[in-house]
Amino acid sequence: MSRLSSSPRISSGLGVAGAALLAVAVLVALAAPLIAPWPPMQIDLRARFTPPAWEAHGVLRHLLGTDNLGRDIASRIVWGARISLGVGVAASLLGAAIGGTLGLCAGYFGRGVDAAISWLIDVQLAFPFTLFALFLLAVFGGGPGPVVVVLALATWVNYARVVRAQVMALRGQDFILAARAVGVPSGRILLRYLLPAVAPAMVVVGSFSAAQAILTQAALSFLGVGVDPSSPSWGAMLDLGRSYILSAWWMATFPGVTIALVVLGANLLGDWLREWLDPLAVSRR
Amino acid sequence: MSDTTLPSLKPSPRRATSPLRSRALRARVSHALAVLFGVSLLTFLVAHATGDPVTLLLPANAPEATRIALAHHLGLDQPLPVQYGLFLLHALQGDFGRSFLYGQPVAPLVLQTLPATLELAAAAFCIALLVGLPLGVLSASRGGVASAALQLLSMLGLAMPAFWLGLMLVLVFAVQLHLLPVDSSGGVSHLVLPALTLSLLSLARISRLVRSGMQEILDRDFIRTARARGLPEWRVVWVHGLRNVLVPVVTMAGMELGDLLSSAVVVEVVFAWPGIGRLSVEALGARDFPLLQGTVFIAGLGFVLINLLADILCARIDPRIASGATSSGSIAP
Amino acid sequence: MPPALPVRSGPITRRSFNATLAAAALLPRPTAAASIAPVVITSDEDVTTLDPHLIRNNHPIGSLIWSLFDSLVRRRPDGTHEPRLATGWSQVSPTVWHFTLRPGVTFHDGERLDAAGVVFNFNRMNQAPWNGECQLWQQSGLVACAALDPLTVALTTAAPSSTLLYWLEEAFIGPTAYLRDTAPELVGSHPIGSGPYLFVSWQRGSQVTLRANPAYWGGAPPIRDVVFRAVPELSARLDELKGGSIDLLTGLDPDSAALAVSPVSGVRQVRGLRKMHVGIAQHGIAPLRDRLVRQALNHAVDVQLMVDTLQRGTTTRLLSVINPPNNDPALQPFAYDPQQARALLHQSGHAGFAVELAFDGRYADAQETCEAVGSFLEAVGLHPVLKAYESGHFAETLRARGFPGLYFYGFAAQIEPLVELVVFTGSAIDNASGYDNPAVDAVMRQAADVTDADARAALVRQAEGMIWNDAPWIYLWYLPALYGSSHRLEYTPRPDDYVEIYRARLAA
Repeated sequence: MSRLSSSPRISSGLGVAGAALLAVAVLVALAAPLIAPWPPMQIDLRARFTPPAWEAHGVLRHLLGTDNLGRDIASRIVWGARISLGVGVAASLLGAAIGGTLGLCAGYFGRGVDAAISWLIDVQLAFPFTLFALFLLAVFGGGPGPVVVVLALATWVNYARVVRAQVMALRGQDFILAARAVGVPSGRILLRYLLPAVAPAMVVVGSFSAAQAILTQAALSFLGVGVDPSSPSWGAMLDLGRSYILSAWWMATFPGVTIALVVLGANLLGDWLREWLDPLAVSRR
Repeated sequence: MSDTTLPSLKPSPRRATSPLRSRALRARVSHALAVLFGVSLLTFLVAHATGDPVTLLLPANAPEATRIALAHHLGLDQPLPVQYGLFLLHALQGDFGRSFLYGQPVAPLVLQTLPATLELAAAAFCIALLVGLPLGVLSASRGGVASAALQLLSMLGLAMPAFWLGLMLVLVFAVQLHLLPVDSSGGVSHLVLPALTLSLLSLARISRLVRSGMQEILDRDFIRTARARGLPEWRVVWVHGLRNVLVPVVTMAGMELGDLLSSAVVVEVVFAWPGIGRLSVEALGARDFPLLQGTVFIAGLGFVLINLLADILCARIDPRIASGATSSGSIAP
Repeated sequence: MPPALPVRSGPITRRSFNATLAAAALLPRPTAAASIAPVVITSDEDVTTLDPHLIRNNHPIGSLIWSLFDSLVRRRPDGTHEPRLATGWSQVSPTVWHFTLRPGVTFHDGERLDAAGVVFNFNRMNQAPWNGECQLWQQSGLVACAALDPLTVALTTAAPSSTLLYWLEEAFIGPTAYLRDTAPELVGSHPIGSGPYLFVSWQRGSQVTLRANPAYWGGAPPIRDVVFRAVPELSARLDELKGGSIDLLTGLDPDSAALAVSPVSGVRQVRGLRKMHVGIAQHGIAPLRDRLVRQALNHAVDVQLMVDTLQRGTTTRLLSVINPPNNDPALQPFAYDPQQARALLHQSGHAGFAVELAFDGRYADAQETCEAVGSFLEAVGLHPVLKAYESGHFAETLRARGFPGLYFYGFAAQIEPLVELVVFTGSAIDNASGYDNPAVDAVMRQAADVTDADARAALVRQAEGMIWNDAPWIYLWYLPALYGSSHRLEYTPRPDDYVEIYRARLAA
């Protein structure tokens, strides 16, 4: 663990901080009905554009202000945690299933299978992803389901590449060779021997991928093809806030800060996990 | 270290590997072509699944005969494989058809807007390299709090949605301070905000890569030897250390430049930058298949070419990887 | 006039130096010949083509094409017709019209306008792909056009047409030789017309530059250089307006209007005519086919509150399905009355149903409006489901009458009762709601056949009232026509969103 030698305490401190950020976000999402002062969809046209409480004309009952329809920003951020985190995690898991499977197959079977899967990976990487996502959502229409699928298409490559590389390294190792020699079927080798071996790396990739999925989801909402425009997802709030950036800065600022904090948390956690769970990658470097 | 142009660990046995390298090069090129084929197929299929352009081209009350005539005029009444075959055949001759929206050939349209995107991506790339590289080296060579602070900073860079950062930059610099213009018409100052916004993610990734590479290199024996020989520390770090992390940086820089081209879509929309990103979003809204295919295909072509170039460059910097695996197994974000 | 930099006699302080620099940065690049900066007009998107018979989005409506091209007649802000290339016209029989052309008109390339050229243009409009965009033949029932003599054109319609002049407003005339002998993409990128402005250049996706036509038949327009610039983000447009680099900003919404006010700029406003509404689809879910339900929806929504808050009082509620001044002043808007709405729903037996509320996802104000409407519908026990359509998909669905429930839309800012009402007849192709009342259709048919103006007006008024009470829409408001304008530009906006920059002048 040479690269940790410089600052192990700081590194793990950051990791814990990241985990704490995420934990808070998850708790907020779970306890949304208890925490949020207002229903997230409650419209009050007469209270449009109320600024945050500490600004002139701000009121305490709308701590972070209201949006263009007089909905409470703080409440929408709290409820939005459910959508944004849920979609991010779901996309990351689906990506793991697709990418893990393909990566295992590519690494283990090699040759034609590997060539085909590597081709898929490279095609996917060469495609301007944002456009790709726009197309697909134009076809499927919005909604959480299609968005999760599209985001999974964005993240599967991460898993596939890591798993493939690791399986290639493991394939020649004694315990695999031995298993093959005694006639253990391929499927069993993949599931019982190789999958557990690559699982730690997948957890690491998972935390980064969830972060990426949350960011991409926000970008898609921003381009107008998000989960559901009126549901309080953080990305949709940002998109809405953009139109009022000159007159109501708080509409875009607070959801953006929220996204940055949660993604930061996931990345810090991922870094930390990588150092703890993936000695292979660290030692290979 | 007699070789000044090739900063490798060991003198390279170049002559011995040259046939291998040309074969590897051929393999790379054919691989790149295969990827391009995939990109074109995917573009074509997805674009056609999104809907009927005839409906969009004609006003709501156009009669059916007009619609059929237009579909025929655009070649949309042919079977899909034929349409794709024709698209590919023409694409090979640089002919991507005629934009429905603009009524003009696609290739010149895209090529007209391409410089704007390249300008933006290149500026962002320069910022990312010029800032990211030193930042990474600094954070690796200064342990403790400074390193952690730099690391946290780069983490923040990775965590912020680029378009949001763009908005905030506009809010602060253009609206509050009136320092920089927001629009896209001419002048270097117009480039600053969008390029800065676009560069951030790459900057953070490059600095992190350099940092982790440097941390490992600085523990190596030859660095210790250099230090023991009494070389000044800046020389040890910036010359002996840095040249040894260049290979992964060049590989990644290739990926980053490609990434910049594609993530420019969002930034171009935020800053009203008249590049291919904005063009393609416009094409998408109008179901302008040929224009869409053209932009995406050309963006994909750029990406593949840049990576091919990065591969070749890497092989020159460090011949050992010339015959190595193509896809990296790094799990860094 | 901003271009002249102040001449300073005192010492240049750092502060004044910076101010000078800032002022210089805001100034347009000086042109060699004149010191007057071009008038810059911005909107959110660029044109896609400048072919007179293909033009589909043209910056602020009309602004570009009306500057470059002329048509036989043009609409005035009050809906009457202004003679342009035609100096006069007469209906010689119910289906035959004679148009006398303006003598001595030349196109920008020197070609002379004559009847044969007009006939050529009309025939071009009837061929693919131009016929898809130009609706002259289809909509007016035109079946033949002929040149009687060099300055007389005869147009024949299949049936008596009361809307021929309306459609001729949009039939632009170009020089025959150029249109005939030039590659279509050149025609689309280098327009030659006979209008008050000459084409200079087009930077695709960015801006179109025009220059005054000194040989214009109506005299050269007061402003010499005009630039139409596309700046997608409203915030960027506002910033440029306040920075003094643009003169006319279109697409201003009520929420942003205050932001357009600065030492060099302000807001110009007239009541708009585009009828914003929530269409009630007749081909989707069953409850909406019930007139009681449609009336209930109109009683459920507090339109006045939305006008006061969302629209900041910049507009008024819809008064009729016909635009003023032709509307029936006796019609009453539906009162906001949730109790009444619930009662009507109960009476119809359709209480508490779920209904889709669709809008074009490209427009932030569309979403805002639909969310507000949705909350009012929820308050009377309905279950609205908001759905953002991708822009292209929205247009497709509208055309195909594919919306299952409600949809937010604005109907064109016309001032021609017969054209406005035709979308409410059962067979009209652009009847997006699918509203179909045979009694209304019968009255409309009668109105189209009657030649006596008073009798026709009476029939139109009758149809107007029937439609209003049938409530095929949730009636909202007129889209406010708001413009940000530099103080140096003297210009009166039109209620129908058309921008006639050749009528503008610069303040002395």
